[in-house]
Amino acid sequence: MCCSHSIEDRQIPAGQPESFDINAVKGMKFFDPHVHMTSRTTDDYQAMADAGVVALIEPAFWLGQPRTGVDSFKDYYSSLVGWERFRSSQFGIKHYCTIGLNSREANNEALAEQVMEILPLFVYKDGVVGVGEIGFDDQTPAEEKYYRAQLELAKQAGLPVQVHTPHRDKKKGTQRSMDIAIEHGLAPHMVIIDHNNEETVKEVLERGFWAAFTIYPFTKMGNKRMVEVTRQYGPERIMVNSAADWGISDPLAVPKTAALMKLSGISDEAINLVTYRNAVTAFAQSGQINEDDFAGVIDQSAKFEGNSILRGGQQPRIDKSSIIIS
Amino acid sequence: MQFIDAEGLKTLLTDVIRQNVTPEAQAWLFAQGGLKDLSAFYTAFALMPRKTGKFQINIDESQQKQINRSREGFTINNWTTDRLARVWLLMQAEGENNDAYFNTIEKLFSTGEMNELVALYSALPVLSHPQLWVRRCAEGIRSNIGTVLEAIMYDNPYPAENLDEPAWNQMVMKAIFTEKDLTRITGLYTRVNPELARILIDYARERWAAGRQVDPALWQLAVIFVDETAINQMKRGNWENYTAG
Repeated sequence: MCCSHSIEDRQIPAGQPESFDINAVKGMKFFDPHVHMTSRTTDDYQAMADAGVVALIEPAFWLGQPRTGVDSFKDYYSSLVGWERFRSSQFGIKHYCTIGLNSREANNEALAEQVMEILPLFVYKDGVVGVGEIGFDDQTPAEEKYYRAQLELAKQAGLPVQVHTPHRDKKKGTQRSMDIAIEHGLAPHMVIIDHNNEETVKEVLERGFWAAFTIYPFTKMGNKRMVEVTRQYGPERIMVNSAADWGISDPLAVPKTAALMKLSGISDEAINLVTYRNAVTAFAQSGQINEDDFAGVIDQSAKFEGNSILRGGQQPRIDKSSIIIS
Repeated sequence: MQFIDAEGLKTLLTDVIRQNVTPEAQAWLFAQGGLKDLSAFYTAFALMPRKTGKFQINIDESQQKQINRSREGFTINNWTTDRLARVWLLMQAEGENNDAYFNTIEKLFSTGEMNELVALYSALPVLSHPQLWVRRCAEGIRSNIGTVLEAIMYDNPYPAENLDEPAWNQMVMKAIFTEKDLTRITGLYTRVNPELARILIDYARERWAAGRQVDPALWQLAVIFVDETAINQMKRGNWENYTAG
């Protein structure tokens, strides 16, 4: 989940834009552990696959407006393990998800109760690699209540937790999120604290949690800053994600950050850790990730609409520069 | 109504499971008890691959034949261990009350992930009360997930036995649109009907107008109800005798 900021708050950064040259990271593979593909187009899947993204995690989140009934949640969760997973497979990208009740909608308590009842139907499913994204938004008592309840669920299911940290009063919200997780007996290595910045990362790492950074224009981290963070703290337990969604965001944030790191002289090993390996290690604690599945091995029997079979990892391409559509 | 030796089939499937999953997974699976504890049933269904793995099963020819004898047209060849164990679990779920039974299984359908849906639709020919699943089967045909469609269309006797004519025709057309292997549809030639032949010819005409090809199997179906000479002309792109349906 991302921006609660309005468009007017955004400032265009100064400086000459540099073009993204994928050749800098050609042959590297990437894992984007936070991206809301439901809100993205097929073109994005194609671009991500081309840029080396081999697997991703789609956390359950807020869809931009509040849902009013439990069946909307049920259908959303089943789309994350069903249709979206299939759509992703068409491009050779392995799709995982985390399932949870997001903090904003936790504030509708009557509905939240019903959502909590159906969560156990989903958290044990194949390819569900954690409970997420959960945590604080406004830091209300209702948010705290359902954050706690879902930490218990994660503990029971033996799953990692993907924690969304708030935009407002971020530092304190992040600290509280960690305190409460510890209080519920979750080991820090089972908790991924997301949307970190320069102000939160130190404590998160010192306390033994995973520190995820969202490279998201205007409202979260920029990738130049991310290069500096990696330099300062090293690559251990740090991971980057795009959190691309229905806002102005970039599904190529992970490969672009890797490219910028490469050009900035960060070692290949460190780049691999923060753009691939650490996220795999953290979420593989669910027992649900098998790297052999990443190889772009597409189920030969999976076909889509009237398109012809297109294996070898590719959907048929259309030439967008052509006026002819056949 | 098709003959099903449900008890015999359960025994056969149990044997195949014994041959293909670890003793730990067997012990766990065989201890699962029907619908008495719903939450345990749902959880067992969901986490099946964690227990059984997702390996292709080994099954010998005599077992294949016996399974086919217990339930005509039913096959588990090339299934994976999780798929087989899920179908086995569903077969234990016979309830006293049809409504409760239906609602429970229907909930699995409505919350299913891809592989769960494959197992659920493959189970249709062996679930009790076949008439309960007609609408569900028709709904499954609306899916765009390839493996789910194939679970319904390929080597599955349920659609031919239970779907009404419009739903059957829809399935055949969907198979053509999604470029499935028509020869694997059980009952393809026994359920062909004049209305389907008309739809097929209309479709072939539409493809011809767009400059696209059709699956040759289409003509073999249509010719059962349409004059062969006319068909041969159509194949050559001569549509003079064609009148839109």
